[in-house]
Amino acid sequence: MRKITFTIKRFDGNKDWLQRYDLPYENGKTLLWALTKIREEQDPTLNFTSACRHAICGSCAIRVNGNSFLTCKTALDEILDTFKTDDLKCEPLGNFDVVRDLVIDWKPKLEKMKVVKPWIIPKESGSPTTGFKQSEQEFQKIASPTDCILCGICASECTQLAMNQEGYLEPFILNRAYRFAVDSRDGAPEEHIRPVLENDLWKCVHCMQCVSQCPKDINLSAEVAYLRQETMKMGETQNLGARHAYAFHDDVKNKGRLNEMTLPMKTEGVVKTAMKRVPFALRMISKGKINPLHMPKEVEGIAGVRKIYEYAKGVDQP
Amino acid sequence: MKYGFFPGCTLESAAEELMISTKKVASALGIELIELEGWTCCGASHIQDVDDFLGVAVNARNIALGEKFDAPILTVCNTCTLMLRTAKDRLDHDENLKDKVNEGLQQANLEYRGTSEVTHLLWALIRDYGLENLRKKVKRPLTGLKVANFYGCHIVRPPKIMGFENHMNPQSMEMVAEVLGAESVEFDQRLACCGFHAVFPAEKEVMGMTRINCLSPKAAGADCLVTPCPLCQMQLDMYQPDAQKGCDENITMPILHLPQLIGLALGFEPEELAINRHIMDAIPTLKKTLTFA
Repeated sequence: MRKITFTIKRFDGNKDWLQRYDLPYENGKTLLWALTKIREEQDPTLNFTSACRHAICGSCAIRVNGNSFLTCKTALDEILDTFKTDDLKCEPLGNFDVVRDLVIDWKPKLEKMKVVKPWIIPKESGSPTTGFKQSEQEFQKIASPTDCILCGICASECTQLAMNQEGYLEPFILNRAYRFAVDSRDGAPEEHIRPVLENDLWKCVHCMQCVSQCPKDINLSAEVAYLRQETMKMGETQNLGARHAYAFHDDVKNKGRLNEMTLPMKTEGVVKTAMKRVPFALRMISKGKINPLHMPKEVEGIAGVRKIYEYAKGVDQP
Repeated sequence: MKYGFFPGCTLESAAEELMISTKKVASALGIELIELEGWTCCGASHIQDVDDFLGVAVNARNIALGEKFDAPILTVCNTCTLMLRTAKDRLDHDENLKDKVNEGLQQANLEYRGTSEVTHLLWALIRDYGLENLRKKVKRPLTGLKVANFYGCHIVRPPKIMGFENHMNPQSMEMVAEVLGAESVEFDQRLACCGFHAVFPAEKEVMGMTRINCLSPKAAGADCLVTPCPLCQMQLDMYQPDAQKGCDENITMPILHLPQLIGLALGFEPEELAINRHIMDAIPTLKKTLTFA
């Protein structure tokens, strides 16, 4: 009979270990079914959390074979087919403190979330007694970010967070900042956005893990782009990230292509580049990887590119 | 087989060796690459941070240049592929956006129609060229060479835009390596991010990632790491000496572009594929298992 092996990372508050459980294969089941069966039939000490079983409460996410899933929503067959194996390694979500076994500690994360003021700071045009009127278009702006169920999968998969737990904000916190900043009832978007900027907004590495794994299909990378655009509108254009983005934006307009020789100077400034990047540049020149005399020429049709830039200035963006 | 070729900026500068090796490999395989005239930078995942609409419009223009050939557009860069495909996906699913963009493109005498697919060399080899046809072209099987296939983010993620294979367990690189005769090693960082896009604002973190991304294949016994993305290659190769600083363990790992690995199997010498240009010299390692003239 086909057997599925679950190797589960256990933790009793002091030490961790790997424990193996075998389950007879049954088709059409979920990951949560498997964990529940193990607890009910083999090991009542196994800890995991779950509640709604409908991908609404967000409490059952774990990592399986290095990827995070909502166990209630994920079909066992899908996992076995994805990884082409009957051996599944289950761990608690990454980038969280662990309480027991597969149970993670949300408290520090929710405390951390407060920095972006995840609540509406009301405009003067509405009040608790008179309420607010919101158009359908205005509502649509918050519809997708409001789908977040705080399952923690985005944080578990976040590359920057794994390297920078103290400085960076969990993607679901960025989503909260976005959700309130774009809410038509909110009168102080800057109060949600500035703390994001001050917590390493520009350090997102564009790995697309959060977008790829979010069980609610929230376009977190587009939200990061929006938050960055807004910080620049607030006048925050002199940090490394903003300067780097503008270097690309301007090079495309000027010549059509990136000038790699001037990119570090545009991003870091001439002095810092001279102080810091000389060994790097010499290393590159010695291998023929860069030619300091190479200047990109204007591409064929650059006049058209510039017309598109001009045109884009006048386009209303949602 | 004919493609509109979108090289991307790095192939004209710090990753010129990828231009050299791509052209050599394409020519040996009988794949015609016609460079799009007047292509611009794809925005490299930065331009949308300044202006979202412009990011789409610039790539609509790039795709429109390709549509003139009535052939798919081929890239050899993960991020170019993602940026072009993201623009295409949005334009093909939003008539209003498409109309607005085309109003802008009209001023450059261009129109986005949505008739050309955007693909990557890795996908084209599997889906269009065929691995068995590639196998027939192998002159120097890479027998004994242990390669670590480092996919890079943007060839698999987000799956809604990329969608060639399962983003959690892709196999295309392993399939190509097998056809070339090389042995793929299993290593933890196979689907990790190289960090290139944030190397300026997040230098400390990205150097830490580079360390892990080199040590992981090393621990798995890889002779070299191979990637389908020039940005991953640049991050892991150019910055490797910087990442080594402050790390007691030796992280040395030669980093190859995918077309260079293919070119070696097709019988080219390392210099013909410009492998001698890398910061971390890969040639001594290759010589241990492969025979060169």
